Amino acid sequence: MNKEITLQTRREFLRTSALGGALSWTVPAFLANTFSAMHAEAADSATQTATGRDSNILVILQMAGGNDGLNTVVPYSNDYYRRARPKIGLAEKSILRINDEIGLHESLKGFKELYDVGEMSLIQGVGYPNPNRSHFVSTDIWQTAADSDKIESSGWMGRYFDNTCFGCDPTIAVNIGRQMPRAFQAKHPVGVSLESPQSYRFMSREKGKSGEMTEESYRKLNEPDAEMVENSGGTIGTLQGSVQTGGSALDFLERTALDAQLSSDKIRTIANRVENQATYPTSQLGNSLKLVAKLIGGGLATRVFYVSQGGYDTHTNQTGTHERLLKELGDSVKAFVADLKAQGNLSRVLLMTFSEFGRRVAENASSGTDHGAAAPMFIVGSKVKAGLLGKYPSLAPSDLFQGDLKFNVDFRTVYAAVLENWLKTKSAPILGRQFVPLQLI
Amino acid sequence: MLKALPGNKWNFTTAAHLLNRAGFGGPPAEIEKLLSLGPEAAVAHFVEYDKIPDTTPDPEWAKPDPDRAKKFMEARQLGEEERRRRLREIQRADRQHMLELRGWWLERMANGPRPLQEKMVLFWHGHFATSVEKVREAYLMWRQNELFRRLATGNWSDMLIESAQDPAMLVWLDQAQSRKEHPNENFAREVLELFALGEGHYTEKDITEGARALTGWSYNRLEQKFINRPFLHDTGEKVIFGKRGNFDGEDFLEMIVAQPQAARFITTKLWNFFAGEMPSEEIVTALADVFRKSNNTFKPVLRAMFLSEAFYGPSIVRSQVKSPVQWLVGSVRMLERELPPPIVCFSLTRNLGQDLFAPPNVKGWDGGLSWITTNNLLARYNEAATLAQGDMSPVSGLLLANNPGINMAVERRLRNIPVHSVDVSRLFTQEERTNKELLIPALEKRLLQDKLKPKQEKVLRDFLDSKSELNINTILDAIRLVMSTPEYQLT
Repeated sequence: MNKEITLQTRREFLRTSALGGALSWTVPAFLANTFSAMHAEAADSATQTATGRDSNILVILQMAGGNDGLNTVVPYSNDYYRRARPKIGLAEKSILRINDEIGLHESLKGFKELYDVGEMSLIQGVGYPNPNRSHFVSTDIWQTAADSDKIESSGWMGRYFDNTCFGCDPTIAVNIGRQMPRAFQAKHPVGVSLESPQSYRFMSREKGKSGEMTEESYRKLNEPDAEMVENSGGTIGTLQGSVQTGGSALDFLERTALDAQLSSDKIRTIANRVENQATYPTSQLGNSLKLVAKLIGGGLATRVFYVSQGGYDTHTNQTGTHERLLKELGDSVKAFVADLKAQGNLSRVLLMTFSEFGRRVAENASSGTDHGAAAPMFIVGSKVKAGLLGKYPSLAPSDLFQGDLKFNVDFRTVYAAVLENWLKTKSAPILGRQFVPLQLI
Repeated sequence: MLKALPGNKWNFTTAAHLLNRAGFGGPPAEIEKLLSLGPEAAVAHFVEYDKIPDTTPDPEWAKPDPDRAKKFMEARQLGEEERRRRLREIQRADRQHMLELRGWWLERMANGPRPLQEKMVLFWHGHFATSVEKVREAYLMWRQNELFRRLATGNWSDMLIESAQDPAMLVWLDQAQSRKEHPNENFAREVLELFALGEGHYTEKDITEGARALTGWSYNRLEQKFINRPFLHDTGEKVIFGKRGNFDGEDFLEMIVAQPQAARFITTKLWNFFAGEMPSEEIVTALADVFRKSNNTFKPVLRAMFLSEAFYGPSIVRSQVKSPVQWLVGSVRMLERELPPPIVCFSLTRNLGQDLFAPPNVKGWDGGLSWITTNNLLARYNEAATLAQGDMSPVSGLLLANNPGINMAVERRLRNIPVHSVDVSRLFTQEERTNKELLIPALEKRLLQDKLKPKQEKVLRDFLDSKSELNINTILDAIRLVMSTPEYQLT
């Protein structure tokens, strides 16, 4: 196993951010490199960890609603597929072939290009034992990585943060969206959830001078005490002690208020400064990945980004909807990869897709599909073991479980690989037991 | 026995603390009123709520719908497209009712005559943590809410048995599907682990045997009520907590309540909910003792808790992070404003991480510090502008993302909903409104029942100084600023 990397400590963050904070009252647009230049001691941590320039980054892409894996990675030459899907089965000639048996939906040209240049691994037949067909429950299972009969409130990424970086920079995890995904839920919550940099801020009601005065007052009301700043630069022992034991609720709120202010300033500055270097499709997912690329390019200290694309619950007249969703997916991810490549950051970014379940093998009576089980996952990046992983589940009726594909790769072996081989941390404490990491990196 | 709060410690701060915790807080006048009552009478005012008449009408749709099952069955006969259209219609009505239900409950919390009863309903909702995401029927959610209200401070066995037999729970934890051939263990497991004893106080065998005992308890969908179906019940012998017998569901739940751990488990959770920290061994023992001596009823426990000196300890007063619901209802009460329309309240609390009737899972909300993240905190600060100044941008701007289908419509409607700003002439005297040296302490007293730090006071003073006059807008800004502090997030 690789050397474990502990993430930035609370102490380092407070030191750097308190310095940044002190600056930000006068220079709201402070940057990592600005304050590292101001303080020699902080410089190391600022470049090593605060800016995260040398760290690997994970991007989780949720395909919400239950993606139809069979019409995504299509077993086009399989008779059972043809029989199960007389109406919505995809024409053989339209398929972007991967081999003689399977190929990608024609809308996934972006994915096919990534696959062909060796920047994508395609994991077939991913799922978990005793599959649940409720969106609600199955999403929780994927987000918490718990066994399907267990209830777990913390997310798998949340436990990663708890285990590796208690009290680290809140921007260690960034969700693009309104609500923090369950995956990020932690004992000691970190992470930022924003729909747009414009909304992740204190908003003054009035414009102009008057609004500026309100905002300035808000900043000062939420400014740390002189003592706190002093501690973070000097007598660190006391400070860390109080952090470790949790301190009072007010201490926690004050730190979070400071974190909020600093991360808001940072994110908005980066979003204004960094330009995208690829053309993204106009869509929600495209916009989300566009912002993620900016934040990576701007050197935000983030290790994990989370984006999602909804609409995969295709019970009725699936064909058109699914086609549009997959095109949006493939084109957005393709642009994202091109953007990162232009930035020179692709080698440290890994993008992983998941959906709460696949869909029933047989189409339903309204040219759609109902909730199913196993489905493919896509892993994108220049360091991935490109190609096919896992085995395509058998479509033979006798091999199905209640009409659904059986999984042959437990998604937690994928998580284990991501944790151990990409984020360089032990997976067992996070996943509850040792899963054999899938060889994907 | 817990040491009682001595009379000389009954003051504005302790009276405010009682109002904040046993209820949802309130304006200075209410605190003064409690103060004048003295601790015994003040606590009785909350605990003896059944003496106060409550005439709140039920939502008009809150009754069984005998046609509901028929509608589903009819829909099933239809072609695929028409079937889905009908189902969507039913879902739409349920969504609308859920919105009304949230508003109805929040209204009870904010303006109802029995604050402790509503606080306990909130406790039980978090405890039994049933979500409409799975139950999918507003009437059932309302029924469960009413059950929590009826038995809020009553007997523990009654509460366990009735909630187990209530339709929302029968659906939520799959008891409705349990058969003697295949007992569903979901409810039996959760009642032991999460509702009544806690891990380490039962065995896997107790779960499987308990599940057998519960078989037969089922749900009559046609009449939307509990039904005991003897032919589904496993009449064989079971072994639960080492005892043998032909136990049924009631026996199982009564046996749980009789376990020594049961009294400690539930009183610990109650203390933690109201005090905001885990109780000491001494407190648990004392509360469990009160609980047992009163035949497992909650009312005497609550009285003992609110009268104890420990409840007013320095680590407790003004040290609990407000839940989003407490933040909203408490703000509305302190600002003496009307509750915004249900759709706005729904959006406000949801943005802050608490969606009533949809807890994240059967464990309920984690609460405490977990309510606070950087973005939730910024959201609280921005939503303060909604409550203080009627600024709708924090609400409408945030509604588009995850579920465009629903939220687009919601957003359109939101734009046309007026939310008024606070009436400052109700909150502050003429003198306070014109003299900032009086206004600042008045703001602190009303919103924090405590002082800001001197440094923060100075910021507020500088802010007021920067304005040419103390007009309504300036005072509203000042209210919003005090609400935009770490201190305001605590109660």
